[in-house]
Amino acid sequence: MSELFVELFSEEIPARLQINARNELKKNIKNFFVDNQIKFNENFKVYSTPNRLVLHIDKIPNEIKLKSEEIKGPNVNAPEKALEGFIRSNNTILEKIFTKNTEKGEFYFFKKESRKIKVSDLLEKNLSEILANIAWNKSMKWANYDLYWGRPLKSILAIFNKKPLNFVFNHISSSNKTFIDKSLEEGVKIFNDFNSYLKFFKQKGIIIDQYLRKKIIQNKINEIILKKNLKIEQNDRLIDEIVNIVEKPVVIVCDFDNNFLNIPSEILITTMQNHQKYLPTFDKKNNLTNNFFVVSDIKDTKGFVKLGNERVIEARLSDAEFFWEKNKTQNLVKQVDKLKNINYFKGLGSYFDKIQRMRKLSSLISDDFLISKDKIEIASSICKVDLMSDLVGEFPELQGIVGGHFAKFQGFDKEVCLAVSEQYLPNGMESKLPKKMYSVALSLSDKIDSLVGFFGINLKPTSSKDPYAIRRMAISLVRLIVENEIKIKLRDLIVYTCSVYREQGYEFDTKKIQNELSDFIIERLKNYLKEKKVRQDLIESSTFLLGLDDLLKAYKKSICLNKNIKKEIGFETIAAYKRSSNILNTEEKMSIESLGFADTGLFKNDYEKKLYKKINDIRKYFLSVGKDENYEESLKILSSIKNELNDFFDNVIVNDEDIIIKKNRLELLNMLCKTFDNYFNFSKIET
Amino acid sequence: MVSEIKKKTLSFQDTIFNLQKYWSKKGCVILQPYDLEVGAGTFHPATTLRSLGPKPWKTAYVQPSRRPTDGRYGDNPNRLQHYYQFQVLIKPSPKEIKKMYLNSLSSIGINHDEHDIRFVEDDWESPTLGAAGLGWEVWCDGMEVTQFTYFQQMAGVECKPVSVEITYGLERLCMFIQNKKSVFDLIWNDEGITYKDVFHQSEKEFSAYNFEYANTDNLFKTFEMLEEETKLLVEKKISLPAYDQCLKCSHVFNILDARGVISVAQRAEYIARIRELTKSIGKVWIESQG
Repeated sequence: MSELFVELFSEEIPARLQINARNELKKNIKNFFVDNQIKFNENFKVYSTPNRLVLHIDKIPNEIKLKSEEIKGPNVNAPEKALEGFIRSNNTILEKIFTKNTEKGEFYFFKKESRKIKVSDLLEKNLSEILANIAWNKSMKWANYDLYWGRPLKSILAIFNKKPLNFVFNHISSSNKTFIDKSLEEGVKIFNDFNSYLKFFKQKGIIIDQYLRKKIIQNKINEIILKKNLKIEQNDRLIDEIVNIVEKPVVIVCDFDNNFLNIPSEILITTMQNHQKYLPTFDKKNNLTNNFFVVSDIKDTKGFVKLGNERVIEARLSDAEFFWEKNKTQNLVKQVDKLKNINYFKGLGSYFDKIQRMRKLSSLISDDFLISKDKIEIASSICKVDLMSDLVGEFPELQGIVGGHFAKFQGFDKEVCLAVSEQYLPNGMESKLPKKMYSVALSLSDKIDSLVGFFGINLKPTSSKDPYAIRRMAISLVRLIVENEIKIKLRDLIVYTCSVYREQGYEFDTKKIQNELSDFIIERLKNYLKEKKVRQDLIESSTFLLGLDDLLKAYKKSICLNKNIKKEIGFETIAAYKRSSNILNTEEKMSIESLGFADTGLFKNDYEKKLYKKINDIRKYFLSVGKDENYEESLKILSSIKNELNDFFDNVIVNDEDIIIKKNRLELLNMLCKTFDNYFNFSKIET
Repeated sequence: MVSEIKKKTLSFQDTIFNLQKYWSKKGCVILQPYDLEVGAGTFHPATTLRSLGPKPWKTAYVQPSRRPTDGRYGDNPNRLQHYYQFQVLIKPSPKEIKKMYLNSLSSIGINHDEHDIRFVEDDWESPTLGAAGLGWEVWCDGMEVTQFTYFQQMAGVECKPVSVEITYGLERLCMFIQNKKSVFDLIWNDEGITYKDVFHQSEKEFSAYNFEYANTDNLFKTFEMLEEETKLLVEKKISLPAYDQCLKCSHVFNILDARGVISVAQRAEYIARIRELTKSIGKVWIESQG
């Protein structure tokens, strides 16, 4: 048993590309072993540092045995040339060829003896193609070469069974050597096995294994925060990036001037995380502190690294502080007019136009939400002003949040400030969801305005393209409504939005927008439910013939049913419905015209009467105001028909000789199904 | 704060001298700044045009770069509407370019054994030049000091062979070397002249010009005239004068942008117009290279 060990040395490959390359290489090499029926340790790993992409697989046999096989050649009646070709391509002689009858006639055959192939030969033959098949998310060319790679590839080390594999990949020949110094690409060293390679670099503080690197960084950080009584935010994306931009991780604690803590913390955190890849720290009360972590790729023997990074954050924070001090005093209300100069979207006017629309929309919504009309109109008017500030210019990702801070500083109502701050939330499936009604109202009006606008100018997303992230906008709208359990007439709101656009001179086809947007939003609700792991058939039945105003109902019902479908109340309800509807379905072919109700005078026994009474009781329950919204209770009521229905089926023959009585009994079952359909479209459910 | 080892501070002008000497020894043609207003060293024809076509080329030069929107009337310690870039362009990109670059840092006192030098992903794109490249911004102890780019496309044409471009932000670099918090405190030479002495008034006045006084009506007209002239010269197949006119277009556009008279929609349109000019010039240039 042997090991395969390959190292691809290059200039610094960005974190995301490294991860992508690791996965690709892993997949390709695995396919190679599987396709060639070579045994290998399936728990193998691909490692990387910014400069080294490393593959290590052990438990590989040195040789594989190919079984003897009969190879079919041309038909005996084929021209002689075909036979000659067959002999030549199999590297054999005429004497070894024999003929055999098959279903399709008589053919020439050749028996290939069993033989052994060296795995190293196979690898040398195929490695170049395996590497070429790495599908980079982004790749480049350099110098005069034709090779595409994440960043310039400098050398390839390839070892099998402690011996070098020799192959050529574009302009690079493989060897058993690599560079020790990644910076100057100097100090060539020979390696013949993976362990000595790993050990050699470990002695230099270089950790090839990214999992280990992550552990080292996290342990060090945990050690320090424990000692200093601090916390850090769980941020996997940032940690994974940091892990993949260093090979020799050294955690350094730095700090900045306490005075900067007066700037809104979002600005500080964004500067540290997004711009500098630092890890901010928090105290036990979750307040940001002036300590932060830098993960350096070098031991800071002279203190230069700490000093340098502290200077950088200082410069960046002074910049931010300068803008914060300047912008926070600029009167939000007085700046509203300037929004006329800022284009919202070609064909949808300026941001001033947009906030006028949002003001009307949120004002209408405020009636439903029972919140102050004045407050929500103020929030709408000032919510986009921060787009003109230097701070949002510097930190576009903080739009809204920065505006909220300006509003707070200028003494606006607390709920107004929060609404401005949260106007862009939620932003997709995972993001934080606003809970306060002012925030929800502002966010809703922003999203509805955008959706109607984009559909109005026909910029709907296609199946493959969604450059304006309209899908995300609609999913966010769905989340706002269902997760906050908001009852809102979305259809009316869309019509109203169209009329507000019309007042500004934008003529949209209201009917068309209404229909298209309806379908679009309901489609998003279905996706949303799917993400929530609701069964597909339940999604289909809860959204069947769904009106746009019933998003919340559909959501609640499907969640309720999904939860209860395996429990007695769910199971019994569906069983009752299915048993009844199955009979109706077979009888329907006889084209019975339904009256919609059963005639009590035609009942022949108590079982019919009891079932009839039960159905009417259930109907009364659904008619009483609000009762239909306690979905679990409703399901319980529906399932309670079990006894009456069982008695009915056990004792009554629907298919009576008298056609009138039979019809009446079918009407009774039809009543049952119709009653159940009030709750849900059960016919779509698979049992 | 950590006490730093005292050594003679490398002045702004010595930093430039050292880099020039270093790259000269590496075989680069040391050029002088291009005598037109440009937004970055990349716009110098020694980079834009010379990176096109098959002929090998090595050059290094300082280029004053004008970014009208970045002006702050000399009030901001980190922002200028006029600053210096040190630009290196080598075609085809040499195998040892990273080593060459790191050694160039040593020549100005930044030793890669003592500092956390990091190559951070930064793919570059210039919409006006129709150019794109892959590479990094180089961080030194967290501060961005260089752009390092392998050109993949220039003037809308695929680069073959590929050039490598190294752009040092001289002010940033010197602030790092001299340990200064404000660009205006940089030591220009060994006689005590500072960056403030040389450039503060100019920052103030040009900010006023760019943001307040530039005559926008005239500039709009100028843009049209320059564009027309460029097109004419492209027809006559003289690429270098055509490129000059195009650079002027680009600068006029930048001032109009700083004056805030170009809307978002217009912006995209102007950029597209300049890109079309650059592309047509690139074509003429490549033809002229035989």
